[in-house]
Amino acid sequence: MAECGEISMMLGAFEDSELEPNEMQEVAFHLARCESCTGILADYSTLGRDLRSIAAEPSLAGFSSAVIARVDRLPQPVFTRIARFLRRQADSVGTGFAWSGAVAAVAVMTIILMTPYARQFANRGANSTTAIATAEHEAAPAANQVAQATANEPTMADNDSHADISRLESENHSVAVWSEPRRDTTVIWLPDQP
Amino acid sequence: MTLRPGSLTFLIIAITAFGTPGLSYAQPAPKQVFVYIDSVMAADTNEGTDPRLGPMDKKLRGLFGFSTYSLIGHNEGQTDCGKMIAFTLPGGKILHVQPRAIDNDMIAMEIVLFDGTRPMMTTDLKLKNNGTLIVGGPRYEQGMMIISIGASTGGVSPPMQAQVVGTPAEANTH
Repeated sequence: MAECGEISMMLGAFEDSELEPNEMQEVAFHLARCESCTGILADYSTLGRDLRSIAAEPSLAGFSSAVIARVDRLPQPVFTRIARFLRRQADSVGTGFAWSGAVAAVAVMTIILMTPYARQFANRGANSTTAIATAEHEAAPAANQVAQATANEPTMADNDSHADISRLESENHSVAVWSEPRRDTTVIWLPDQP
Repeated sequence: MTLRPGSLTFLIIAITAFGTPGLSYAQPAPKQVFVYIDSVMAADTNEGTDPRLGPMDKKLRGLFGFSTYSLIGHNEGQTDCGKMIAFTLPGGKILHVQPRAIDNDMIAMEIVLFDGTRPMMTTDLKLKNNGTLIVGGPRYEQGMMIISIGASTGGVSPPMQAQVVGTPAEANTH
């Protein structure tokens, strides 16, 4: 069993519940059998209660707002101010991008839905290429007469064709396609197989 | 009321998507397509050009180098978009033309050329209104056959077409 001298050293902490669990157990075990230490503990308790009753608790009303206000009054580091300025600007630019995106989306939708002319114009550049590409065998040597007559004529690939051929199927392996835009004519030449 | 950019975008897109088709298709589009077919025999027999070819002569000479062009058939007919029209051509050829749509000044159509029952060529194309597609190459008698296919939404024969007057009796109007 612990001596009263050791226990009395821990009574203040015991009163304040600041001991380790095993120490709390040891002190409590000793107090159950020692009237002297129990009296000392009672004195500690009385003294603590009296001290707490005479000490005035400061009021904390408005404490947090006062602290924040004081922090705000502190001079901000330059980098912090720059970062804050940039963040505000980025927010503004982001809004600008959103508006720009909205306007662009509306413009695209309008062009697609309202102006078939635009679609025709957009397709025009690819028309001649498509026509040539879809022919199974492009510009194969046709009849000599054809070649002689059209050697210097513009071809579908570099002119505003008057027929947009999207599909051309033939068993013939010598299909030739060309355009004569000045006469609004496109020619598909299917020479008979030998 | 504050309108956020996202809300505004949605609103404008919705108006555009649902409001403009009516505007786009408000104009009544002609649905009938007139098709003109001239069948020409081209050869190197130095017989000149059939006078019935009319304005086609210059065009054919500009496109090909034959010395003889003879009109061997003329067909014409009208059909609605989506309905196929068939033409019987000289030399046992059959031509199917099916206008699909009229898009501004272009006529979308499918053309199938048969040699008897055998399909020689199938093509999907958009032909300019009053434009001409020429399909040529198949042998015909001592030369080659050139088929001029013209299409129009206005019922006026394209300038390329041969003069109908005096066409051979076998080239019946379809």
